[in-house]
Amino acid sequence: MSVETMTNYSTSSLTGSRLLAAYLGDIRIELTKITRTPAFFVPTLFFPAMFYVLFGVLMGGGDAQGALHTFVRMGVFGTMAPGLFGFGVSLAFEREYGQLIFKQALPTPPGSYLLARMLMAMLFASVIAVILIVLALTLTHAPLTPMAAVRVFFVEVLGVLPFCAIGLFVGALASGQAAPAIINIIYLPMAFLSGLWVPFQYLRIPLLQDTATLWPPFHLSQIALHAVGMESFGTMGSHICALIGVTLLFFILAVRRLSSGGLHLFGARRPGSGFRFGKLFTMGIIFVSIFLIIAGVMGGHEKVPAATSKAAAEEGAGSPVTGTRSTAAVGVAAPATTQLGDFDAGSTKVSYGLGWAPADDKWNGGKSTAVLKLTAGGAGNSKAALEVSGNVEGSAQYPFGGMNFFPNGTTDPDFSKWGYTDYSKRSSFRFWVRGDGREYMVVFVPPNPGMDAIPLMVSFTAGPEWKEINIPLRDLGSAILERVKIIQIGTPNPGPFRFEIDDVRIE
Amino acid sequence: MSGATLASLNSAVKRFGRITALDGLNLSVGRGELLALLGPNGAGKSTAINILLGLQRPDAGHAELFGMDPQEINARRRIGIMMQEVGLSPSLKPRELIRQVTNYYHSPYEVDAVIKRLSLESLAERRYGVLSGGQKRQVQLGMAICGRPELLFLDEPSVGMDVNARAALWQVIRDLVREGCSVVLTTHYLEEAEALADRVAVLDHGKLVASGTVDEIRSYVTRKTVLCKTSLATDVIRAWPEVEQLQHASGRLQIITRDAEAVLRRLLNGDAQVRDIEVLRAGLAEAFAEITSSGNGNGQEKAR
Repeated sequence: MSVETMTNYSTSSLTGSRLLAAYLGDIRIELTKITRTPAFFVPTLFFPAMFYVLFGVLMGGGDAQGALHTFVRMGVFGTMAPGLFGFGVSLAFEREYGQLIFKQALPTPPGSYLLARMLMAMLFASVIAVILIVLALTLTHAPLTPMAAVRVFFVEVLGVLPFCAIGLFVGALASGQAAPAIINIIYLPMAFLSGLWVPFQYLRIPLLQDTATLWPPFHLSQIALHAVGMESFGTMGSHICALIGVTLLFFILAVRRLSSGGLHLFGARRPGSGFRFGKLFTMGIIFVSIFLIIAGVMGGHEKVPAATSKAAAEEGAGSPVTGTRSTAAVGVAAPATTQLGDFDAGSTKVSYGLGWAPADDKWNGGKSTAVLKLTAGGAGNSKAALEVSGNVEGSAQYPFGGMNFFPNGTTDPDFSKWGYTDYSKRSSFRFWVRGDGREYMVVFVPPNPGMDAIPLMVSFTAGPEWKEINIPLRDLGSAILERVKIIQIGTPNPGPFRFEIDDVRIE
Repeated sequence: MSGATLASLNSAVKRFGRITALDGLNLSVGRGELLALLGPNGAGKSTAINILLGLQRPDAGHAELFGMDPQEINARRRIGIMMQEVGLSPSLKPRELIRQVTNYYHSPYEVDAVIKRLSLESLAERRYGVLSGGQKRQVQLGMAICGRPELLFLDEPSVGMDVNARAALWQVIRDLVREGCSVVLTTHYLEEAEALADRVAVLDHGKLVASGTVDEIRSYVTRKTVLCKTSLATDVIRAWPEVEQLQHASGRLQIITRDAEAVLRRLLNGDAQVRDIEVLRAGLAEAFAEITSSGNGNGQEKAR
């Protein structure tokens, strides 16, 4: 190499394109590092998609609302890992092995390390979001409009920031050895406690619901639910407050911690040559962020129906609703009538929905049978009652024989698109019954049984004399009554059955 | 500030709790000179370097780099750095590591030119993580010089290198100095300082205890060790006026002396069967011990 003449750059900074090259170079290096670390990028990209296919597609029972809910939850779950691991684990290692102090001694442009890492987390979040959107649109009937998809995409990409800040804080504190374990201890339980794994409607553990606002993923998931037009808890303002507060707090604590160890992420501390977090400024940020978090945590509980469900509810009030497909999580409000069939008119029809029909278990491979027949002479000397009879065989996974009613069923051949009804304002389900002395049950079936919620089952006995059965709904929890897709009356127990029913009401 | 001084510490003091790492250190690096910074562990070498790199600030006194505060990024755009212990990302390739660093500088060398100069061609496309310790040091040297620095900080550059790699490293450093680059070198190897340095500064207890050319420093280090197997009685040898210390080490007698030639003459005269003779110059640690104990450093340090 030839002898180079020395040029004097004594006081000049890097100018435009050279400075850009410095930042871009750092971003490119981060990207190269990540693409060569399959242990990071494979699970980070693959797990949310895999869980979505598992819970949202394969186990989702084909329900559109459930698929959308799972889509949102898995999307938020997917935004957690890039920030937590990308910052937490890598930073701890790089700090421990002197890489950060070396970068600081080099003329690295201020903040380029943070910027490059943050962009990587956002890149990962956007890839995960796109994968889930494609899966949702191709494999499920999730009612995801293009605009909603764009909105949820941005929510999830920006949603990496609080997790970047938490990761940064752990990376600033923990050793390289301990960081992965600490991050996992934060990551998985926090996802569970925020209702990302199993929705609260299903768990029905009040303590979890009451403490959910403490966890950042919960706030992000509520924003994402709102973005796709589903029911959410709390106001958007409170969630944004909480997330900004968490981001600021952990970020400032991490910066403080690092700078006490001589690491200044924004370069030099001298005024004018870099950004400096003065003590007062730091305390101010901490104060503001704690205030924001408290505001967010306190404001996160109120239930907010989806924007579209109010319109649907008004539409449905007082009149039979057929074919209305709302994107709301709560079913359309039940029509004003309390009558669900007195059968005196010689029909199994109800004033709304699809009317009573035989229910068996052929849909899940069973051989049980059920027949409905109108009989003269109902309860209380009324004109007619409905006789339900048949035989239950135990061969199906969920054996059943009896009758069912779809309050918001339609003629759409795709069962998963049928709507559901909100009965949460009603206090009791009543009917008169007599029969063969066997035990039967009333089942309120949610749209996505087993995933969103378990069906509600209440037993009763059909004796030889007419008797009124009164099932108080108040005690059963509103989560399922808000979303009733089917009301079933019958039995899962093998053997022949026969009962007569009259004057069914939900009051 | 004159153009001749690139970096300086003026009465720099740095304390870590009760330990005084730098105790009013004065140090300056001129243009085109290679300054070797020597001293036992804990002498304050690393602290001095860290302050000049802007990684730490002195509690008192001040530091300048190209007439600026070392924390000014524009000052650091004129230096190259090879740190003693740095774990770089194992998944990256040397070419990528060097290219990333070139991006931080105004007018860096071409990455290929750096690779060629350091003969890294065969390593450039391998993962950094699979390189040997000496190879890693060579890559780190590439990262240090790629920005066309005016001043190069090399902290123990030859640790882990084999003899050939060390010779190549020395040649690269000599070439750089000839091209006008200044170098601050910290090392444990006296030979390295001897081979390269224009000027040597010896630190102890945070102070400059000796400074001068290599020959001047070497004149401080006069004690030598004579090893041998002899049938002469220990008491007899101890009685020789040239002998300062006497001890047994792995089957041989170890004689510390300022006049090895005289001791050898007596040994050969007194014992026809004397075997396994070896004469060693004092190690650097002993040299420092000598410089610092014969000087005025320790006693006053403790008194304060």
